[in-house]
Amino acid sequence: MKQMMRNLLKSILFMTILLVLMIVVTLFLMPIDSVRKYGFVNASNYEILSEKENTIDAIAVGDSLIYSGISPMEIWKEFGFTVFDCATQGQLIRESYRQIEMAFKNQKPKVVFLEANVIYRDAKNKPWYYDYQQLIKRYVPFSNYHNNWKKLISSLEHHNANFSKVNVYKGYRYVNNTKSGKLKNYMKYTTKKASIPEENKIYFDKIVELCKKNQVRLVVISTPSMVVWNYKKHNGIVALTESYGIEYIDLNIDNALNINWKKESRDEGDHLNYLGAKKMSHFIGTYLQEHHLAVDHREDEAYASWHHAYAVYEENLE
Amino acid sequence: MSYFNKLYAFLFLPAVVFLYNIVPKKIRPIILLIISYIFFFMYSKKLVIFIIISSLSIYWAGRGMRKLNDKRDEKLKQVEKEEKKAIKEKYRTYKKVILILTVLFNFSFLFFFKYLGFFTSIVNKISSLINVSCHFKIVEHVAPIGISFYTLQAISYLVDVYHDKIEAEKKMFKVMLYLTFFPTLVEGPITRYAEVNQSIYEGKTVTYDHFCYGYQRILWGFFKKMVIADRLNVFVKTVFSCYMDYSGLTLCVGAVFYTILLYMEFSGTMDVVIGSAEMFDISLPENFRQPFFSKNISEFWSRWHITLGLWFKDYIFYPVSLSKPVKKITGVIKKIAGMRVSSLVMGGIALACVWFLNGLWHGAGWKYLFFGFYHFTLILMGDIFEPAIVWLCSKFHINRQGKSYTIFRIIKTSILVFIGELFFRAPGLAAGFKMVKRILTNFHFYGFFDEIAFLGMDITDYIIIGLALLVVLVVSIYREKKISVRDKIKEKLIALRWCIYYALIFTILIFGAYGTGYEPVAPIYADF
Repeated sequence: MKQMMRNLLKSILFMTILLVLMIVVTLFLMPIDSVRKYGFVNASNYEILSEKENTIDAIAVGDSLIYSGISPMEIWKEFGFTVFDCATQGQLIRESYRQIEMAFKNQKPKVVFLEANVIYRDAKNKPWYYDYQQLIKRYVPFSNYHNNWKKLISSLEHHNANFSKVNVYKGYRYVNNTKSGKLKNYMKYTTKKASIPEENKIYFDKIVELCKKNQVRLVVISTPSMVVWNYKKHNGIVALTESYGIEYIDLNIDNALNINWKKESRDEGDHLNYLGAKKMSHFIGTYLQEHHLAVDHREDEAYASWHHAYAVYEENLE
Repeated sequence: MSYFNKLYAFLFLPAVVFLYNIVPKKIRPIILLIISYIFFFMYSKKLVIFIIISSLSIYWAGRGMRKLNDKRDEKLKQVEKEEKKAIKEKYRTYKKVILILTVLFNFSFLFFFKYLGFFTSIVNKISSLINVSCHFKIVEHVAPIGISFYTLQAISYLVDVYHDKIEAEKKMFKVMLYLTFFPTLVEGPITRYAEVNQSIYEGKTVTYDHFCYGYQRILWGFFKKMVIADRLNVFVKTVFSCYMDYSGLTLCVGAVFYTILLYMEFSGTMDVVIGSAEMFDISLPENFRQPFFSKNISEFWSRWHITLGLWFKDYIFYPVSLSKPVKKITGVIKKIAGMRVSSLVMGGIALACVWFLNGLWHGAGWKYLFFGFYHFTLILMGDIFEPAIVWLCSKFHINRQGKSYTIFRIIKTSILVFIGELFFRAPGLAAGFKMVKRILTNFHFYGFFDEIAFLGMDITDYIIIGLALLVVLVVSIYREKKISVRDKIKEKLIALRWCIYYALIFTILIFGAYGTGYEPVAPIYADF
């Protein structure tokens, strides 16, 4: 018994020292900038924080459909409006909520585009440990910073290191592959409605409230996708948005953007490729213009970095 | 769940240890069995049925052979001495039938999942060559995890029961646990029933010492895999996928890096596996014994993937070399060419079978068969030319036991291993030859640093790998001298001991190649 207690105490002491050491090492490796307080779980989730304060006209939140479908640089080039994609892979609606909340801290956009697909994504489909994993990553961010030892070695001035990289694509992820999709049963008419998970309804309500509070227009949008979208889902979103009096744009209805699925999808009709994204970006720009939600910033000196970003973006296009 | 998943090491394993410790001793093996099946199910879902069928088949076959033994012994008591031989022969034949049928039954699963596609493509090629209009559809199936490992274990159990080396197990769950024990399930080591049956079913209480010892070994495995293997992965992947874009020198470095990666990944996994079992006071056989200290290829294979080598030795090499046809052939050769040639032929035939099957075991593809043929040739050549080398050394007064000659032999063996691994990792056999051709025709130092600058590693990565390999080398030297590093550390004062553990933990946490920009190596041997 005595030995057991000794071993137990030893283990507790070992773990306590380990924890203290982890905190100390983390402090050394953690980036010192605005990204820090958000835990830096995934740098690409927080890139909007690197944007100059109050320079973004519109943000688009959602999953891969958004970051494949809206290219802010195309909108900048054509209209001079500033749009940012706060989209992440397989985003859950509660994450969309946090993205909007975070964006509002630095930016005062006129409009938020919310991709309708996240309203259906059930958190239950994520692995059981997903929430814990996110929580650990947020509050014990060691694993995300560990590679900063390289920067420590190279500069030995890590406190001056700039970890917030400005994204020249403004959240868009450029892919120009083409894999044509088949049109079988795409948006086949039905009166049935897909059901929305209860938790998602609560978060949708929270997003509505958040936008209202910040006087930002909320637009629910469905990006063209033959794989994830259908009429049942469309009907469900129509009912939901009507109950709130919120605008809903479904770009899948009647192939609103005239997407050529043989050439403008990167993965058999699931996501748009660059050619498809150009069409959708043009639509977003036109929407902002027609509704007077943004002004042309191209002549504005404060937006000079966007010209530079565009030059890099253009150079990177194949 | 990979053995390198944080969930495995820090949630699954402690939870299993906890559960194992709180239940009565008798139930512990059953807990291990249930956990092992859950573990298997997490990988292969409904394919779990195949391991159940395999387990049941070898259990019933073993029981059948045991019953035949009992019957035989009863009859032997009743008959006269002259009849005994005939009875023994009769029952041996019955047992052989059971053995052959069960082995074929188990191999049929392995063939179906691993080799059907490959052999169908061969049949299709042959039929098109001889203008026969038959073309079979090539179907590839996802195999149950660890099928290559547990099938070999199943065969070893059956053969050992057949030869009365072990008694057939009475309890079904014990045979099931032997095949599915979760630490060995994915990548081995290939255990023998006799070496694990006692500790695995004993249900000993997990002690503080065993728990700590197990975790130390697991951490060492994490160090090898995450700091070295995962860091090299991007480099290796890029070089081998676009080999025509790189100079011969870069391809050489790629082959060396791949060999290091493979060794660190596989031996690191074995450390995690053996460490996991150690926690339950279950001693598993070692699979590696400092292979890069080998002086020839034969020795290399007695130090690399030891349990597979021993399996082939016991269940292929000896049975083939002692088989009647081989004995007949070597008997004739002995008369004509003498003892040495006859033993070379006997060894050669058995070796050819071993390396053909060894190549095939690693994968269904020509490159794997070539890999086997390559090592067969090297080992056979080594045996043939050994007397000539001994003569040359004595002629030129070279001390074969001297340090410089030993180092020369180690380097020569390592180079031969690198070449073999190049073919092993190449996208195909033709690609392997193209790579060798490029090494021979396009070998230059010009632009080398520019080339490797874009292969996913910077100077700091090379420094980390260099230092980590140095640590591995020092530990290997200790182990070669039969000094246990863990025991050495245990002798130190607690403060120093803990400092070493913290250093190891933080080396993995800080210098491990995980997160953005890295791609961990997938368990390589799990695919075999």
